[in-house]
Amino acid sequence: MDYKITVGIEVHCELKTKEKIFSPSLSCYGSMANTNINVIDLGYPGTLPLLNKEVLEYAIRACKVLNLNITHDMHFDRKNYFYADNPKNFQITQNETPIGRDGYVEIDVDGVKKKIEILEMHIEEDTSKSVHGEKSSLLDFNRAGVPLIEIVTKPCINSSVEAVKYLEKLRELLLYANVSDCKIEEGSMRCEPNVSISKTEKFGTKVEVKNIGSISNVGEAIEYEVARQKEILEKGEVLKEQTRRFDDKTKTTILMRVKETGNDYRYFPEPDIPFVHLTDEFIEKSLHDLPRMPDDRRNDYEKAGILPINIEKIIANKALSDYLERFLDINLVIASNLLLGDISAYLNKNNISISDTKLTDDKFRDLVNKLDKKEISNKIFKDILNDIMETDKNINTILDDKGLNLINDDSLIDTLIDKVLSDNSDIVNQYKSGNERSAKALMGLLMKEGKGKINPSSANQKLMEKLNS
Amino acid sequence: MLSKEEVMHVAHLARIEIDEEELEKYQRDLKILFDEIDKIKDLDDFDEDRMFSPCENAFDLDRRNVEVDKDNLLLNVPKKKGNFIEVPVMINE
Repeated sequence: MDYKITVGIEVHCELKTKEKIFSPSLSCYGSMANTNINVIDLGYPGTLPLLNKEVLEYAIRACKVLNLNITHDMHFDRKNYFYADNPKNFQITQNETPIGRDGYVEIDVDGVKKKIEILEMHIEEDTSKSVHGEKSSLLDFNRAGVPLIEIVTKPCINSSVEAVKYLEKLRELLLYANVSDCKIEEGSMRCEPNVSISKTEKFGTKVEVKNIGSISNVGEAIEYEVARQKEILEKGEVLKEQTRRFDDKTKTTILMRVKETGNDYRYFPEPDIPFVHLTDEFIEKSLHDLPRMPDDRRNDYEKAGILPINIEKIIANKALSDYLERFLDINLVIASNLLLGDISAYLNKNNISISDTKLTDDKFRDLVNKLDKKEISNKIFKDILNDIMETDKNINTILDDKGLNLINDDSLIDTLIDKVLSDNSDIVNQYKSGNERSAKALMGLLMKEGKGKINPSSANQKLMEKLNS
Repeated sequence: MLSKEEVMHVAHLARIEIDEEELEKYQRDLKILFDEIDKIKDLDDFDEDRMFSPCENAFDLDRRNVEVDKDNLLLNVPKKKGNFIEVPVMINE
């Protein structure tokens, strides 16, 4: 019998509120060290924490998208410990009344759906960031007091693939709910799996892995841990409960510390923060501007006929998907092809985003509709792309100015077809004697004659009618 | 009386060193203190929901008035390196 793998994952995510959770210092990444700080963040004696309402709103949104039951009456607790990253000697967190309980995230592994159950989600403050040197450690308190949510799964993940899928889905949900940036490389999302293996119903000895720098590395860390634990058990040795860290270079885990008798954090209710009662009204208000979640968007894209590979490209680029949300009433296939193709090429080339261009919503809508109705060809679109992006002119004006309006005039098209047919009677004869490819050659000549300005589908239809008459 | 191990554990949590004489004193003193705390459990129908705070939902409080005088903030820091606060190396991480 093979070993059963059991994984539970703790994820910390920084909420992207403007200010910190208990102080009005700015909560942002990348500032000069120790500039976004004040007496509360530094734990000065006599200071009192002031709860940031925005944190509650963001956490409520996270609860909603993770299907968690919201705790209406909750409070904060003190987790006591001595460590230089937190001079108050306690972290304000939620131990007894986490804001969310019993939720799930649904994943899809090779077509099989599975609910990854979430035990709880609580709110807490981040500690200062430490950089360790040989002789000293350096502390930056910009991070101290940044609001975090910690999301804890039940031990219900049974492979590295499931773990990676769960984290990708979790990241996507929190990102789309505008709750967190979820940038693992900047530390705004931190994943800590605990891994055990067992041949019986009883769980094996748990090993926690910290310091993992990417979602795919979580998968690799779990794979490595499973192999390492198997080897130890096969040798007849006993596993120890440990905390290990992932080493990106060697793709292995390295021992950090052996847990002794378990931590004694002496949790007790935080006396400096009044208890919180979340009313239905407050919850409703917090959820008021919750954007549509990625799975709903995927459904719409699929219904519109966008290719699956393009659907995932759009979902992976939230800004792009948010942009498309404003145009759900027009041809989404054309709209997404433009955005993924020529428009994004234009933006990348110039290193700008749509908001930096002159492409207004009206203009984009008009453009897509014109392409949809075949009023302009792809060739013409490419010719006027720069004008669309760089001038205030609307599409019609651009077309008029350049003399590029597509010819939809039937009599004009008829005249052009007649000219092409009489000028190329040899090709017409080839067609009549059974060479069907000659029709394509004639169509090419027709488009050339019309200088790319005639509506290709109606022209083709007319050409075929004349050839076959 | 608390056991010596219990007193030593409490001392460790508080990061204080105590000598043999103090150890015996705390074995007695802490017992008195813990007994007082235990009395709470003897209350009729005691449950944690009874815990209350004098006010609720104080998250609308004005957070603007907090001191943000950055020049004075780090005056108490014993050692700095650039903008960072320098502390003895932390090995437990």
